[in-house]
Amino acid sequence: MNQAKEWKDRKVSNRGMIKALILGSGNIGTDLALRMRTDQRFEVVGLVGRRPESEGLLKAGDNGIAVFSEGASQALSGNIDFNVVFDATSATDHIEHWKLISGRKCVVIDLTPSQLGKPMVPILMGRHVDFSLDGQELIERNFSMITCGGQSSAALIYALQSASKRILEVEVSSSIASRSAGLATRRNIDNYIAATESLAASISGTQKTKAILVLNPTDPPVMMRTTVTVNAIDMKVDVANQVLREMEEAMQEFVPGYRIVVPIHSQNENVYSATVIVEGAGFYLPRFAGNLDVINAAAVETASRLFESHFGAFLE
Amino acid sequence: MLFLNKKFYDVTLRDGNHALRHQLTLDFLVKYCRLARQSSSYAVEVGHGNGLGASSYLIGKSRLTDEEMLRAARANLGNKLLGVHAIPGLATIERDLKPAIDRGVDLVRVATHATEASLAETHLEFLVKKNVIAHGVLMMSHMNTVDGLVRQARLMVDFGASAIVLMDSAGNFRPDDVTERVVALRETIGVEVGFHAHNNFGLAIANASSAEKAGATLLDGAAMGLGAGSGNAQLEALVAVSNAGDEDLKMDPFYDLSDLTALECAGSLPKVTSTSLRSGMAGAFSGFAPHVQRLSDELGVPVEVLWNEIGRRRIVAGQESILREIALDLMNL
Repeated sequence: MNQAKEWKDRKVSNRGMIKALILGSGNIGTDLALRMRTDQRFEVVGLVGRRPESEGLLKAGDNGIAVFSEGASQALSGNIDFNVVFDATSATDHIEHWKLISGRKCVVIDLTPSQLGKPMVPILMGRHVDFSLDGQELIERNFSMITCGGQSSAALIYALQSASKRILEVEVSSSIASRSAGLATRRNIDNYIAATESLAASISGTQKTKAILVLNPTDPPVMMRTTVTVNAIDMKVDVANQVLREMEEAMQEFVPGYRIVVPIHSQNENVYSATVIVEGAGFYLPRFAGNLDVINAAAVETASRLFESHFGAFLE
Repeated sequence: MLFLNKKFYDVTLRDGNHALRHQLTLDFLVKYCRLARQSSSYAVEVGHGNGLGASSYLIGKSRLTDEEMLRAARANLGNKLLGVHAIPGLATIERDLKPAIDRGVDLVRVATHATEASLAETHLEFLVKKNVIAHGVLMMSHMNTVDGLVRQARLMVDFGASAIVLMDSAGNFRPDDVTERVVALRETIGVEVGFHAHNNFGLAIANASSAEKAGATLLDGAAMGLGAGSGNAQLEALVAVSNAGDEDLKMDPFYDLSDLTALECAGSLPKVTSTSLRSGMAGAFSGFAPHVQRLSDELGVPVEVLWNEIGRRRIVAGQESILREIALDLMNL
């Protein structure tokens, strides 16, 4: 706890920074810690894992980040001061953690596919009605980052939706490098699919959705790719591509490796498709792990925007 | 007793759906199941070419839904075991496995790429709890080493698989490759071993026979070889070869299935062609064939160039959407 105290003492000089506690020292949590360490908006008050010898905790410790190895429940019941909790454990664990933090004056950013909180996609905040904040979300303050497939497909679905009269069906297929998929992702593959489909439904307005995830073990590893295919009425392909380019730019502000590789094109009558690639920023896992990058960058961006727009008072 | 240890697993109505571009009709399915109940096959597998929940723009839309196929098959198969193929990432427990079991599926083969067995954990554990026969399948098995296959097979056995089936999805193996792998699995994993051949080099029967001699007891075959790319081991030929000299041999039901398939699928019967040889040499998934042909026709990129690039980039099944990107890249070179 000495380390934690040291970090707490620093807060005087860091007034205004968002104090972030990260749960889970797997790929996602460790990447988040390293990412926010160099981000002026945040102060990482701790990375919480279960095993002191885990690669993530060691790496974070080496980088001067306070680490806790007694598990999330212990850390949440202790006296660590934080404004935001990033939960990068698992969907089932998140439900337990939520019971411990729901009453506290903080924002929760859920990176598991638990589907507990309000789904949030930073580029759609202020653009799409489903991603505006009203009463309930402001009280509960639990925001879900859905999945990497969800974050990477949102721009595509939004562009296709805004340039057509109606979307009848959406399909989101992502392929990622095997090395970037940890055990929790593998065990939770069904949750991944359900959460990605539910986001696709909310952006597109149709319940007819399908998400597919493929792992490719090739070495050197493949970059993350996401393809969205829709069946839509009255699609204006030129308009859709124009919106998509705007969305690509908006994404690149916080995911520099996000780019369109196959623009929106017609496949069959009323069937349109496009593909993006996501190259990671390489904070923890190498650059092929764009899946990690896209969800973590979205999480950090969402937290930052929420404190700017609604929860600034928490920092005082 | 005939077929005491040996089980012929009939994949005509599942892998064959690749050859039919997933347009299997209810009429053919019903006729096939009525004949198949007379045959001595162990089980009949039904579905989209990539199994449960796989009907998609990415891989190909199925004419029939999973529900339609399973209901019709169950109603017409009598006591014959009804099997399905399920790939985690495509098929989920809630949306696909639970309804399939409710509709009378007896056996589920949970399939992953040859290096990704850990994806099968939740699905296999669920099936074991449900008392459904659960097999593990390693697809594209040429893309892992012998030791690697043993490790992956062991994982699936730990998750509860009661048999492990090696699929030569690219039709890339020679008979010796098959022998080596089946022997390695037989010696180490303690459960039944199966083999699923593809005929890209015209070796499907030879490979399946080698598997049998090496101790594989689950042998996949399809009537007239109906399957992805240049098809599977031809079921009726496999049974004949496997039982040569056996007096009790009941070949007639298999001949009937063969004749029915030859008649009903006349335009879709697989052949060994320059395309299947190219994809086999490149070690690429046979199911990509129609996509490669379509892109080649549309964009004018020669098929052999596409196959070589797909092989070089080691693209796996389920990455159909990358094929267009590869074709576009090749055009920009």
